[in-house]
Amino acid sequence: MASNTKPPETKVQIRLSTRHLDLKFSEDPGAVLVPTSLRRLQLSRLVNSFLQTSTPLPFDFLINGQFLRSSIDDFLTQNGISAEITLNVEYTPALVPPVHVASF
Amino acid sequence: FTHLDATALSPGTARDLWLYHELTTHSLSQQLTEHLRLILAPTLATKLRGDFRTGKRLNLKRIIPYIASSYKRDKIWLRRSMPSKRNYQVMIALDDSRSMKESGVENLALKTLTLVTRSLSMLEVGEVSVVGFGDHVTVAHSFDKPFTSESGVRVFEQFGFQAAKTNVRGLLERSLSIFSESRHRGASYSGEDLWQLMLIVSDGICDSHAEIQRLVRRAEEQRVMIVFIIIDSSTPASQLSTSILDLQSVEVLPEGKVIRWKYMERFPFRYYLVVQDVKELPSVLAGALRQWFGEVAGSI
Ligand SMILES: [Mg+2]
Repeated sequence: MASNTKPPETKVQIRLSTRHLDLKFSEDPGAVLVPTSLRRLQLSRLVNSFLQTSTPLPFDFLINGQFLRSSIDDFLTQNGISAEITLNVEYTPALVPPVHVASF
Repeated sequence: FTHLDATALSPGTARDLWLYHELTTHSLSQQLTEHLRLILAPTLATKLRGDFRTGKRLNLKRIIPYIASSYKRDKIWLRRSMPSKRNYQVMIALDDSRSMKESGVENLALKTLTLVTRSLSMLEVGEVSVVGFGDHVTVAHSFDKPFTSESGVRVFEQFGFQAAKTNVRGLLERSLSIFSESRHRGASYSGEDLWQLMLIVSDGICDSHAEIQRLVRRAEEQRVMIVFIIIDSSTPASQLSTSILDLQSVEVLPEGKVIRWKYMERFPFRYYLVVQDVKELPSVLAGALRQWFGEVAGSI
């Protein structure tokens, strides 16, 4: 039975912030507990759910000044950060918009 | 000369801290002791039972067979059964993970540990053990030794709140096997009821809730009671941390839907209490234990 159980999920507390005044949450949710399996796309959806926007906006994320290009889990491992610590995660409008290329 | 774990409290610090907490929780320990004395002592059995030759009241069901047997089957009396003496094994499991330090609750957690161990040793209701958990489980004080002030100092030396994980699932697996071994050893108290109780002292943040729920059910089957004491960080001094009562938990479904809920709404332990000030502990802990004994007494 132990052999086919999936690896234990890990969670980490994050605190979301932004430098863009127009993109701040109307109410600070404080720390939020998220699975470390989240990537940019899912975090983007989370921010949109807090912003309650009618049209979702794509976001990029910075942790300790570095762009998140992997899952949070991989980021923590690569940077030797413990999931026991609350992460400060900065969100900023994504530089490259997702696939909305006009057809020629 | 001996290996000292650099992350744990130094012997000097451990001693000073233990003595400080012992002193500052003195009257609270007495309060808790009084509460526990009332709860943990056996309740008076009011049931009448048995077939005896003498007793308190006649068992009416035995009267006709008694006459029919020409007064030979004369065990026609009921007696008030005496409650058997209860013995306890109480394990206190203290969270040694780094989040305890990050959220600034480690001191309140050590104070809680002091308060509870002092009260239990004053009560003399049984055996006390202390374990630490983080990545691994360490037995800081085992059931077979009496818990003295010196034990408290030794226990404190084993905590540093540096563990990189909070493995509550591992804690439950290990502690249930310790309880099961200790129950067999404790079987030498013949005729006495052995009750096993586990108090988890932690900031309450843990993963693998489904696995934990399964183990909590197994604990109930093994008649091990678990009370989770959450040391909450929302004291005025730590404005930066979020109270566990306000903490939101999040899941993002594969199709992108975001689900948010209050973390405590799905907390996997049935009996828990949230403590922000150690002064609240005696009455709140007593309340949880009273509720549990009320439910268990109704079921046996
Ligand atoms: Mg922790």
